Amino acid sequence: MFQTLVIQARVIVALTLRETRMAFGTSFIGYLLPIFQPIFGVGFLVFLFYLIGRHPPFGESLALFFATGVLTLDVYNKSSSSLMKAFTTNKALLSYPMINFVDTLLARLTLIGATYAVVFVVFFSGLMLLDMATMPAHPERVIIAFMATLFLGFGKGSLDAVLYQMFPSWQNVDKVLSRPMYFLSGIFYVPGLLPPEAVAVLKWNPVLHCVEWARTGWYQNYPDDVFNPWYPLAFASILLLIGLFSERITRKQRGGMA
Amino acid sequence: MIAFDTVTKVYTVKNVRKVILDKASFLFESNRNIAIMGHNGAGKSTIMRMLSGIELPTSGVISRDEKVSWPMGFAKGFNGNMTGIENVRFVSRIYGEDPNRVLESVQEFAELGKSIDLPVTTYSSGMKARLAFGLSLAIDFESYLIDEITAVGDRRFKKKSNDALRAKIENARVIMISHSESTIREYCDSGVLVHGSKLYYYDDLEGLLADYNRFA
Repeated sequence: MFQTLVIQARVIVALTLRETRMAFGTSFIGYLLPIFQPIFGVGFLVFLFYLIGRHPPFGESLALFFATGVLTLDVYNKSSSSLMKAFTTNKALLSYPMINFVDTLLARLTLIGATYAVVFVVFFSGLMLLDMATMPAHPERVIIAFMATLFLGFGKGSLDAVLYQMFPSWQNVDKVLSRPMYFLSGIFYVPGLLPPEAVAVLKWNPVLHCVEWARTGWYQNYPDDVFNPWYPLAFASILLLIGLFSERITRKQRGGMA
Repeated sequence: MIAFDTVTKVYTVKNVRKVILDKASFLFESNRNIAIMGHNGAGKSTIMRMLSGIELPTSGVISRDEKVSWPMGFAKGFNGNMTGIENVRFVSRIYGEDPNRVLESVQEFAELGKSIDLPVTTYSSGMKARLAFGLSLAIDFESYLIDEITAVGDRRFKKKSNDALRAKIENARVIMISHSESTIREYCDSGVLVHGSKLYYYDDLEGLLADYNRFA
């Protein structure tokens, strides 16, 4: 049992290093790009809203408010889209008996988690230096919210990977389905301050709860009437269960192509 | 040893059902160098992939208590966008070997020179095969699975490969697919004939080769 865990850990470390190399290339710029891409994205958005003179929906800082939303959604999107292709781009790996598909999912998730941990630290320290944010009210909550978001991305991504393998057009369907997420995840508004009719619909979106989770960590008195931590966790667990289960029952078909 | 317990393997490709193995039980004992023979399409390579663990049986259980190589002689496991070095490091890591030691030994054997620093897509098929062969020799397996030692490289390299393999099997064993009587006589002491979805074991090579010539 212990030996198995050692092999598993070894495989995941090796795969993560390999994924890093494949995702970033060898150049130093290659490592910087995935870190600065989301930072520029949020920065530009904030800049635009400053120009049109919008007030932050909550708190003092527009940048902080948007960043808690956009970056959380980003973690979710990136992990699910990167996991989606984990099976198909890693077929060559199946020549090695100790590697199975789930390892490739975990390796990609590790990489995304590490990348975004750096993004978060760089971005929010930057905001604090610029006086656009203060230390989070509950730092541990911010970290837990981050992990919960990754977990949700893991669940979604596992299912995506299996679906994409079976129906490559799933990628396009998913793109269409995910497009409204930008507006449904509470990035631009405080869900708790919306009319109850809107809340009744929006509260079914698990990503919105992750965003709320992060904000209750950053702000002292954030209106968290909508927020329920168990919902995204349960949602993620169910997706993960379905994803891993269908991975298991379709494994033999895929193994035949190695 | 590697044990097959009532292993069935069935392929269905476009509604054509192909039975590779039908409830076969067999023990590949640790101290034997075993040849696998059979006619083309009998399923030898599939059996070898099941021996290594990269393919699962349709039903039944395969267990192994030794460190088994991947089927050697096929260079599919490389990522073309990564350099030779990176591929070697990756494989060393998953097998828990020291990447630098393995790299050194691969470099000495495969003689890729500076090309080891280039992406594998730029390699010729001969270079790829040399890298793959060198890599599997650099890792200490207890069982080497060899799917048809085909002519890799020129005569000098062939001799080098044979010598290296022979040195290896002093402390390890081979399970080998081949159609060549001389190769089998060179490396093996017993054999399995794959015929009609069953495995037939021969304790000596004479019986195996005789039956192979009769049936396959």
